[in-house]
Amino acid sequence: MKLYEYIVRRLVLMVFVLFVVSLIVFLLARGALPPETALAPYITPRLDDSAKLALAKSLAVATQSCPAWSAFLQHQPSCLVPLWEQYTVWLQNVLVGNWGYSLLPGISGGTTTTWDVFTSRFAYTAELAIAGALMTIIFAFPMGVISATHNNKLPDHVSRLIAIAGYSMPIFWLGFLLQLLFGVYITIPRGAFSLGLLPTNGAFSTTCGACLESPGTITAYSGMPVFDSLLSGNVTYFWDTLVALILPTITLSVSTLGALTRIVRSSMMEALRQDYVLLARSKGLKERVVVYRHAFRNAVLPAITISGLIFAFLLGGVVVVEYIFSWPGVGAAAVTATTVFDVNFLELYVLITSLVIVVANLGVDILYAILDPRIKY
Amino acid sequence: MEKLGPGDTRRKSELRYTLHLMRQNPIVLVGIVLAIGSVVLSLISGLIINPASGNTQDLPLRLCWNNPVTDWGVHNLFVCPGAHVYPLGTDAYGRDLLGMIILALPLDLEIALTIVASAVAIGVGMGAVAAYAGGLLDEAVLRITDVFFSIPGLSLAIVLVTFFSHSLFWLTTAVLVVWWPTYVRLIRSQVLTEKEKPYVEALRSTGAGRLRILFRHIVPNSIYPVLVQATLDVGGVILVFSTLMFIGFSPSPLLPELGNLAHAGIENVFIAPWLVLFPGLTILLIALGFNLLGDGIRDALDPRLRR
Repeated sequence: MKLYEYIVRRLVLMVFVLFVVSLIVFLLARGALPPETALAPYITPRLDDSAKLALAKSLAVATQSCPAWSAFLQHQPSCLVPLWEQYTVWLQNVLVGNWGYSLLPGISGGTTTTWDVFTSRFAYTAELAIAGALMTIIFAFPMGVISATHNNKLPDHVSRLIAIAGYSMPIFWLGFLLQLLFGVYITIPRGAFSLGLLPTNGAFSTTCGACLESPGTITAYSGMPVFDSLLSGNVTYFWDTLVALILPTITLSVSTLGALTRIVRSSMMEALRQDYVLLARSKGLKERVVVYRHAFRNAVLPAITISGLIFAFLLGGVVVVEYIFSWPGVGAAAVTATTVFDVNFLELYVLITSLVIVVANLGVDILYAILDPRIKY
Repeated sequence: MEKLGPGDTRRKSELRYTLHLMRQNPIVLVGIVLAIGSVVLSLISGLIINPASGNTQDLPLRLCWNNPVTDWGVHNLFVCPGAHVYPLGTDAYGRDLLGMIILALPLDLEIALTIVASAVAIGVGMGAVAAYAGGLLDEAVLRITDVFFSIPGLSLAIVLVTFFSHSLFWLTTAVLVVWWPTYVRLIRSQVLTEKEKPYVEALRSTGAGRLRILFRHIVPNSIYPVLVQATLDVGGVILVFSTLMFIGFSPSPLLPELGNLAHAGIENVFIAPWLVLFPGLTILLIALGFNLLGDGIRDALDPRLRR
């Protein structure tokens, strides 16, 4: 099989996976909750019962023959639409980009369509996840390599303990400790008050009130504040958002950092055991060259395959981190959505995160094929 | 296959060598102590603390601290009245926090072990049959796991719990639903290599049944990586479960569960930081114990690292 055939096959599988995910979430949402829950985001106090019934009929939540809104509320059999029929109507809407309305407010308030609420928040989540992934990669590789080259000596023990403590860490707890440490105990005097050293709430630091008031100088290229302010050349705003990113990023990346370190270590140890390393050493090459030029380049590949999984893990962890740090992203919004049974938002949230993960995995596999010419599909 | 009896010297020396390898590493010893310690403590927890005290509220005693070791630097620290010392303070319902943590241990460990054991049973059953049968069945099982691997575990669990109920049963089920596909993949790859070995062919030629070959011979020979992963996952499951509780999916605010205790503490965190600190620390220590233990077993059993 050629690479492009493989990619086509994977894309077909990807569509299948997303279809099943949407089906699962939809059936769970509509099957387990009373049918009127699906209408909640659309209903305003001004609607009278006949308007509500018309709405339910137009969304295929109630049958066309349903006599009255009260009959629908009593779940009379003549009013109930079979789930597969509801799903086909929902799917038709979704395929043309109509995700319905959400109960959650958008970032800037006002808009309430599910798509707007989601997209206005997604950039913040993406920024956090990317920062977490970068930090994971930057620290995991050196730690893993040092651990492998100093097998069963002090650096290995230290790195093992850090790594395992990392993925044994309840991230909500770590986030809380960091908040308490940098937000309450370590303070800097500022005017009449003393403020925490680092911001612990939201995507902007509280020390820079003016930044929030004058974001007009920022062009929204991507919606990610750090990235946008950098591109717009607004140094104050850039610093402000970057500082706010520090604690959430540390919290988010600690567990994935541990996992990746262990994987780098084991694949590095495997590489160091190979004959070509023995040959390189016997040629009299410097240890540094043997480790980084010969062994490391071969050890990187298995670690890359796992990075797709790590991205999935980061997107899961983002929920908790956003919840603790009041980060205005989609993860915290999903937790809020569960408390108000905002079915539309949850469906979009699960589907988009799945899409991101599936695409990331596909990208990793293609990258793997390009990096390692021995791989055949 | 011949069975290795308890008196068999080969197995004995293998086991001894494994234990020797594990002992070499002081960090693994820490893991063993933590893991066994938490299990033992949870077994005798009913003897130390009366389980009914989880439901007794004593509001005059709420959020107080009288352990002389520290005062947390908290403004307006409420010192517990009376001579009885509360080593880890009291919570918002006036319950002794140390007692609640000890009460929470058996619950958390029981749930984690239930989830891991069920996930292993389901995953190994499906994965082994799929890999041995091959063909359409294998493809179907793989595609099902694909779907689960593409949803972040915590998100799926949150959605499940939201749509059903916040009962312990559904919380457990939600984590189980997220967890089982890992074992399918793990056992599948093992069985795929194992089933090509000569002894399987020999068994087939003696007329042994397919299920017998699979579950009496192939699975026992390919189960070690699964058991290592299961040890590691006890810690992981406790983390996910307590995280679910922490972000608010708890059946009752009074339930003595580690994540739930931390959740209850978060609103009073500035006047009583111990409420989040100690339950979280307990989760960390349990997870650390099982992870260090699993990591040590993995290294000790790894034939590539065994010389």
